[in-house]
Amino acid sequence: MEAIIECRNLTHFYGKRLIYENLNFKVPEGRILGLLGKNGTGKTTTINILSGYLEPRKGECLIFGENIRSMNPATRARIGLLIEGHVQYQFMTIRQIERFYSAFYPQWRKDAYYELMAKLKVAPGQRIANMSCGQRSQVALGLILAQNPDLLVLDDFSLGLDPGYRRLFVEYLREYAKAEGKTVFLTSHIIQDMERLVDDCIIMDYGRILLQCPVAQILSNFRIYRCQTDEYRNGEALLQSLSQAGGGKLYHPSLIRQNLEFGSFLSDAEVGRILRQEQIGYSQLRSERVGLEDAFLSMTGKY
Amino acid sequence: MKTFGKIFLGFLTAVIILWQLPWLATFASSKPSRHPFTVYSCMIQDFAMIDASGDELVYTDRQGRIYTEEQFDSILPLLYARQLFSEGRFPTEIHGRPVRFQEARRHDFFFRSSPRDINKVKPGIYFLLESMSGRVDLEMPDDAFRVNARGIEFIDMETNTLKPEKSRIFTEMMKSKGFVFPARQISGNPTAQKEYDEGYLLSDAEGRLYHLKMMRGTPYFRQIPLPEDVRPEHLFLTEVEARDMLGLFTDTQNRLYVIRMPGYSVQAVDIPSFDPEQENLSILGNLLDWTLTISSPDSVRYYAVETSGFSSLGRYSYARESSRIHGLCFTSSADSYVKPRFY
Amino acid sequence: MFKAVFFKEWLKTRWCLSAAFVLCSGFSIYIASRVMKAIELQGAGHIWEVTVSRDALFAEPITFVPLLIGLALGLFQYFPEMQRKCFKLTLHLPYPALRMTLVMLLYGLLGLSLCFVASLILLWIPLAQVFPSELSSRIVLSSLPWFAAGYAAYLFSAWITLEPTWKRRVFNMIVAAFCLKIFFMAPAPEAYNAFLPWLSLCVIALISLVWLSVLRFKAGKQD
Repeated sequence: MEAIIECRNLTHFYGKRLIYENLNFKVPEGRILGLLGKNGTGKTTTINILSGYLEPRKGECLIFGENIRSMNPATRARIGLLIEGHVQYQFMTIRQIERFYSAFYPQWRKDAYYELMAKLKVAPGQRIANMSCGQRSQVALGLILAQNPDLLVLDDFSLGLDPGYRRLFVEYLREYAKAEGKTVFLTSHIIQDMERLVDDCIIMDYGRILLQCPVAQILSNFRIYRCQTDEYRNGEALLQSLSQAGGGKLYHPSLIRQNLEFGSFLSDAEVGRILRQEQIGYSQLRSERVGLEDAFLSMTGKY
Repeated sequence: MKTFGKIFLGFLTAVIILWQLPWLATFASSKPSRHPFTVYSCMIQDFAMIDASGDELVYTDRQGRIYTEEQFDSILPLLYARQLFSEGRFPTEIHGRPVRFQEARRHDFFFRSSPRDINKVKPGIYFLLESMSGRVDLEMPDDAFRVNARGIEFIDMETNTLKPEKSRIFTEMMKSKGFVFPARQISGNPTAQKEYDEGYLLSDAEGRLYHLKMMRGTPYFRQIPLPEDVRPEHLFLTEVEARDMLGLFTDTQNRLYVIRMPGYSVQAVDIPSFDPEQENLSILGNLLDWTLTISSPDSVRYYAVETSGFSSLGRYSYARESSRIHGLCFTSSADSYVKPRFY
Repeated sequence: MFKAVFFKEWLKTRWCLSAAFVLCSGFSIYIASRVMKAIELQGAGHIWEVTVSRDALFAEPITFVPLLIGLALGLFQYFPEMQRKCFKLTLHLPYPALRMTLVMLLYGLLGLSLCFVASLILLWIPLAQVFPSELSSRIVLSSLPWFAAGYAAYLFSAWITLEPTWKRRVFNMIVAAFCLKIFFMAPAPEAYNAFLPWLSLCVIALISLVWLSVLRFKAGKQD
C-alpha cells in the first residue's frame, strides 16, 4: 500500500529543549491513524509539522509524495485540515462560510455540507462566533466533508466537545472515511474516542515513538499482569531488573506493597518464564486484556 | 520577496539607528553655543560686544576693554539713540558729522534673511497694494496676482475669477518694458502693516531686474539698470523708513547689492560673499554704518560697512563648533523641506 | 477565488471600512465647511492672505485620521485571522500563500484608497471653488503625506498583527512608530513635494514586510 504520509528523520527543538530526534513514520492509504502521547511528547509539534505550520529543525514530511513546506496548492486541496478546537472563521455565518470555501474547491460537495447543517438547530444566518463548540465542530466537519479530501488531518478533535457531540463526530467521521477510502491522521486527548475511531495508532513517549501498530493488535494482545511478590522490601532493585528484563517488553512495572503490576504484549507463559529467569519469587500471576486507555497508560506510565 | 523583505527591514532599521542614535547623543551632550551680541561701534571704530554667557552681562569690545552699561550706550550712540536722548546725552555730531536724533531714528533698520524662508515651496500668489491711495493707512487689495508664462494675472478673491482687463493692462505694460515672462523671482511685503508700499521687485526669465507697483490703479513698472555681468538671484524688497533704499539682492556670484533710491542706483556691498540659500543674514543698520551678521553652520562672520558707498569698515568672525557626530536627519534648519540627508 | 478572498475580507472589515469612509469624508466636509464659514465671516481676502503669508492650511484636523484608519483597518482585517490561529485555514486553501497575502493586502489598499480618494475629492472640489489652483493644490499637496501615512500604517498594522511572536511584534512596533513619524515632520506647506514619491515607493516596499510575518507564521515561530 502506498504511504500517504511519510515523515523522515524529523528533529525538533523548542529553543534548546529537544522534542524528538530522527522520528520516522508512514501512514498508509485508507487507514485512520491516531497519534497518542502524553502532554509534551510532541503530538501538537508533529501535527503542526504535518499541516505545514511548523518548520522542523531537521527532516522532512512528505504528503502524497510532496514536501509539505513546498506543496503545490492543487495537492493541498486533497488535504482536509481541522485545527484544534474546530476553529473556523468566527465572523462568517453557515451560509457565508460555505460560499467562501466552495470557490476554492472545484469538486465541492455543497449537499454534504447542508445535509449535516440541517441536523444542527441553528439558523443559516447565525454567525459561527455565536455557536457552541459542538455546533462549531459540526460546521468544521461539514466543510471537510464538502471539500472531500483524500487525507484528513485533525488536531485534537475532541477538544471542547461534550460526549454526545464527540460520539456524533466519531461516528460520522468513521463512516465517511471507511465508505470513501479516506486516510485520516488525528490526535485526541480522549483515548476512548480513538478506540472507536482509529485503525492504527502511534504511541509517543518523550523523544521517540514507542509503538506503531493496529489498535486491534493492542486490544487483542496487550495484557496487564498482576502478581504477588515477597521481594517488595528490595523494591527499587526489583523494578529496575524487571524493566530491563526481556528487552524492555514489560512496560512500566509498579509495586504497591507486595502487589506487582506491569503490562506486556507477551503471553502468560513467556511472562512467567521471564520472571523465573530473573529469579523473582511470585505467586498468583493473573493477566487481563484491557482497553486502549489502560494499555496506553501502562505503556507510557502514569507520570 | 523574502530576501527583499529582509533587506528592506534591515534598511529601515539602519535608517532608524542612523537617525535616532546621533540625535540622542547630540541631545544628551549638546550645550547651547552662544555668541556674544556683536555690533560695529562708530565711536571706537571697532566691534563691541555684549557677552551673555556668564551670570551677568559683560560689555566689552574686540580689544577686551570692559564698559559699564552707560559707557556702552555712548559708544553706540545710534543704536541706543533713544536711551541717550532721554538722558540728554545724544551727541550733536559724530566724528565731525552733525547728527540729529530724528534723522538717526529714521535711518535705523533691521533686516534678516534665513535659508529656511528661501528654501521652501512658495505659494506663487501675491497681493499688490495700492501705493498711492491718498490715504495714510495702507489697505489690502481685493485681488491677488500670479505671474506665469502668459503674463501677470489678477484674480478677484471674492469670486475667485480672473480680472481680464487689469491683467491685460499690467501684462502689456510689463511686456512694453521688455519683461520676459515668467518671472524668476518676485519679492515684496504684502501687508498693510507698514509705513508705505513699494510693490515688488521682480527678475524676469532673462535675468533683468524690475520694480513693479500700483499707483492709482495703474501699473508703475521700471527696469532697474544693473552693472555688467550682474545677474540677480535672490531679491529682497526692504521698504525702510528712510526711503533711501528700495531693496537688496544677491547675484549668481553671491555678491550682495543695495538698490538706492531715488534713481535705482545699484551699489555692491563690500563683503566677500553671502549665499542666501545656505547662510543667515541679519543687518543692523543706522545712519552711518551697517553691521552684517552672516552665520553658517561652521562660522559666524561680522562685517561693518559705511552707508554712503557700502565700503568695508571692519570684519570679525567666530568659528562654530560643528557637531562631530554624523547621522541622518529629515529636516534641517537650512530649509523647509522634509527629505533624508546625511550630516 | 479572487472574489472569494475579497468576500471574506469584506465580512471582516465592512463596519470598519464604512466607518472609515464616513470619518474621512466627514472630516473633509468639515474642513471645507470651516473654510467656507471663515470666508463668509472674515472675507475671502483675509483667508487668502493667511494662506499665503502665514502658511495656513485649514486641513490640519484630518492630519492623523488616515493614520488611525490605516491602523484600524489592519487590525480589523488581520486580528480575526490570528484569533485561535485562523490564518492556518486561510493558508491551507489551495491558493499560493504569497498570492493570498497579496490579494488580502490589495483588498485593504483598495479599501483605503476608496476612503482616501473620496476624502481628497471632497476636500479639493470645494477648495477649488474659493481658492486659486495654487492654494487649493497647496493644501491638498500638504495633506498627501498624511494619506501616505495611512497606507503605511495599514501595512505596518498587518505586519505587526500577523507576526506570531510577541518579542518580534514589539520590535516591529518600534520600527513602525519611528517610520510613521517621518510622515509628520513638515515644517512648512508642501515640504514633502520632492520626497513624497520616494516615500511612496518605501510604502509599497512595506508589502514585503507583511510577507516576512506570513513566512514566520508558516514556520511556526514561537516566543
